[in-house]
Amino acid sequence: MISLLSKDIRLEQVMPLIRERLAEGKKVIFGPKGTSMLPMLRQGIDRVELVAVKGKLKKYDLPFYVRDNGQYVLHRIVKVRDTYTCIGDNQYVYEHGVRQDQIIAVMTGYYRGDEYISAKSWRYRWYCRRWHWTRPIRPFWRRLKGKLVRLIRGKK
Amino acid sequence: MKIKEGFILREVAGDVVVLPSGDLEINAMITLNETAAFLWRAMEKEITREELIAASMKEYNVDEKTAAEAIDSFVEQLKTNDFLAE
Repeated sequence: MISLLSKDIRLEQVMPLIRERLAEGKKVIFGPKGTSMLPMLRQGIDRVELVAVKGKLKKYDLPFYVRDNGQYVLHRIVKVRDTYTCIGDNQYVYEHGVRQDQIIAVMTGYYRGDEYISAKSWRYRWYCRRWHWTRPIRPFWRRLKGKLVRLIRGKK
Repeated sequence: MKIKEGFILREVAGDVVVLPSGDLEINAMITLNETAAFLWRAMEKEITREELIAASMKEYNVDEKTAAEAIDSFVEQLKTNDFLAE
């Protein structure tokens, strides 16, 4: 008679509810899908807390927005001009031209497992900056690490 | 018996869903089937088990035993999910 809502529910189906709650000044918490925001957000494990947007966002903010093709996205702002440039933490291709009117909400904190981490915490703020600054060298580091691991395994 | 304050029913994607009236947690939304939704609405005001059985028998044209079993099962689930007022 009672069951948890199907985990396969599409975000589009609950968007009217989400928009309604945000407009009332309430928070919305959900677990995003996909791997584009690794290592910060793990599908099926971590959840984000969103609130309605008030005014222009800043670099490193994490907005929840809708693309012109209707796809809902949760990616980080890395540049602010008249529009925003966004990218997932686990991505290397930037998305330019995200407009203010596309933005539905912004993250104020997240649950890493059961632990709540505020977007204002020094730990989170350091993570955003460190992760973005090391983006250019990460592919090289991964390849180097792979070679070192293969080298070590080859010697054993 | 009565449902706790602070919850509302809404239809989402064809399902009747229980929502808290405060912050919204998408992954923790509860759905109710048609019978459960009927019982829930009846229990939004104080109601006795006997009144609930009578209402169910009238609504669904079932015998008392069937109605009682469904209601007792539903009430147990309400208790498990902490929806019943004390």
